[in-house]
Amino acid sequence: MRRWIAHLDMDAFFASVELLRYPELRGQPVVVGGGSRHPPLVQPDGTRRFARLRDYAGRGVATTATYEARAFGVHSGIGLMKAAALAPDAVLLPTDFDEYKRMSRLFKQAVLEHVAQIDDRGIDEIYFELTDLPGAQDAVGDDPHGGVRAIAARIQQAVQAATGLSCSIGLSPNKLLSKICSDLEKPRGLTVITEADIAARIWPLPAKRINGIGPKANAKLDSLGLRTIGDLAAADPQGLIERFGRSYGSWLTEAAHGRDDRPLSYSRDPKSISRETTFERDLHAKHDREELGALFTRLCERLADDLKRKGVVAKSVGVKLRQDDFRIVTRELTMDRYTADAAVIRRHAGLCLKRMPLERRFRLLGVRAGHLLAADQAAEMPAGQEEGQLALPF
Amino acid sequence: MLLMKIEREQLLRPLQSVSGIVEKRHTLPILSNVLIDIEGDALTLLATDIEIQIRTRSTGSISAAQPASLTVAARKLQDILRALPEGQEVSLDADERKLTVRAGKSRFTLQTLPAQDYPRMQLADGETTKISLSQKTLKRLLSLVQYSMAQQDIRYYLNGLLLSVGDEEMRLVATDGHRLAFVSEPLPGVTGKLDVILPRKTVLELARQLADIDDPVDIELGANQARLRFGSVELITKLIDGKFPDYERVIPKDHPKELLLQRATFLPALQRAAILTNEKFKGVRVVLSAGTLKLISSNAEQEEAVEELEVDYSGEGLDIGFNVSYLLDVLNNVSGDTLSLRLNDGNSSALITLPGTDAFKYVVMPMRV
Repeated sequence: MRRWIAHLDMDAFFASVELLRYPELRGQPVVVGGGSRHPPLVQPDGTRRFARLRDYAGRGVATTATYEARAFGVHSGIGLMKAAALAPDAVLLPTDFDEYKRMSRLFKQAVLEHVAQIDDRGIDEIYFELTDLPGAQDAVGDDPHGGVRAIAARIQQAVQAATGLSCSIGLSPNKLLSKICSDLEKPRGLTVITEADIAARIWPLPAKRINGIGPKANAKLDSLGLRTIGDLAAADPQGLIERFGRSYGSWLTEAAHGRDDRPLSYSRDPKSISRETTFERDLHAKHDREELGALFTRLCERLADDLKRKGVVAKSVGVKLRQDDFRIVTRELTMDRYTADAAVIRRHAGLCLKRMPLERRFRLLGVRAGHLLAADQAAEMPAGQEEGQLALPF
Repeated sequence: MLLMKIEREQLLRPLQSVSGIVEKRHTLPILSNVLIDIEGDALTLLATDIEIQIRTRSTGSISAAQPASLTVAARKLQDILRALPEGQEVSLDADERKLTVRAGKSRFTLQTLPAQDYPRMQLADGETTKISLSQKTLKRLLSLVQYSMAQQDIRYYLNGLLLSVGDEEMRLVATDGHRLAFVSEPLPGVTGKLDVILPRKTVLELARQLADIDDPVDIELGANQARLRFGSVELITKLIDGKFPDYERVIPKDHPKELLLQRATFLPALQRAAILTNEKFKGVRVVLSAGTLKLISSNAEQEEAVEELEVDYSGEGLDIGFNVSYLLDVLNNVSGDTLSLRLNDGNSSALITLPGTDAFKYVVMPMRV
């Protein structure tokens, strides 16, 4: 039996969600990002006036861009000021994470009507297995993989019907290849690849298309003259191990040959949950005390909400600062009991902050909850004696 | 300007004894550096993280034409020296902003920062209590208790080690609130009473640096700082300002059940039982009955381990749970083939001592398994 793993990736997800709300922007370059300022204004005649990239000043980044904006070289993660230089007339929309999360739940539910479980990789992408679905192993006409292709097409339609949004699906024997091929025919792509297609379809691609080869590894590969996945597959495996270490080096060879036997992971058991925010301007612990205090409290409240929504409690709290010189400072504290309470988290986060150097201004503040445990598990423990461990009676 | 020529080991060894406290990511860039000071035939290295400062001074390994001081990245210099062949002669040249390290056909140019900007700690004036003991004694005492110190506990005074001097003895106590380790050592001639808390990092650094030799460690305890001198090293540390809990209250005096355990059989049995404890809670059941001690563990997958040991015990039975790591810690750190274990009931602490001496005590609270 042939193993079929699907990778489903929503097409330009955030931008597409926005286009559902503002259909008049369809076909235009649109960039989403930069916090919640610059919402569209409804004018007296009922039409909407949108902010343009050229008007943006600040240090926000693009969370996403429509395919039209991507044609100008704007991509997610790019600074908005830099994006404005590339596409000054592009429409700029504020980020609305609550709406994206709602749509994310909708498309995942739609997929779950067809498969029993999904490997949830984030807000806009999932993996799932089709191997055992009725018809998945059947040929249809001349197409030996017509059966599985038809199932994937039905799932694409179901996502479209539930959300009004399109997605691309990659189908292959494993996660690694499916992730690569969901990207090959975007948008609305449905790409099927088997071992026999690797040489023709995967090897010509740049090495960095492999999920796991980041900018640093890619630069190193490039300096060795290894530009495509095919170059990597042809490279001496021993040489890769010598240059990249045993584990990563041998993985590079495996990945280049499209070999990946990772199972799908259906339960995500997070080790920690964090919330962070980059300020509009750099803040100072003393001079901006009030503003900072309020931000800090709100972060802790949102973190507490995250914990409650996921049904977990935390034993440790950490704080992260990014200073104006981009250095990152972190401090962590273990609490004497598990909690998901915003006030308790805020108090301990405050204690962390006290132990941090605060002479410089900083640009980012983050709060992290760690050592997580399911709330019901923690509730079974006697109060003050979490994990059943008794304390010394000082 | 040529600063000095020196054999690799003569520079690497003192560098390694100061660089352990250099923080990898510190907000003050200069604190990633080590201060190098040369004058005549004396080479002084100094590093600090503002809480601790370590200085080493050696003479005779160099001869400098003129005195100089500068600071340079400690880790980088150490990595370079370490990667050079043994016995290699190294020369150091400095100009205004750079230090050039030459060795054979290798050359490294490192950035420097001015020595006068480097923060230095000094033992504050005022009365100090002075004590002295051999390096190997202090090393042994630290190893008996340091594993019980808390780590990042909100009760900051537990993230360290209590050093209590008085009545012709010295006591060291560490606790994380769940277990406590105590050791005492006679210190003839010392009177008066003084309690200080040494920070965790200082304790770990001392344990790392002290040698198994009879040479002395001279300790001076001030109000907020302590200074320790041994070999060519001088360590100055801040003390933790806080009140250490009353440890004597939690050391049980009259637990009725007592048995002797042989380390050679008990430790390996615990290590095997630990394999199937729950990853998060690490609980192991200790089931005591006449003639036998059973260790039972199980994990979330319902896998189970049972170890049975013969013991010389004829008292009442008891079923009590412990965090297996707390038991392994003490067994891994005490020397001696036989340990005494005293118990009361399933909710009371266990007391572990070494037969024939009051000098060492380990108290551990049970856990509900």
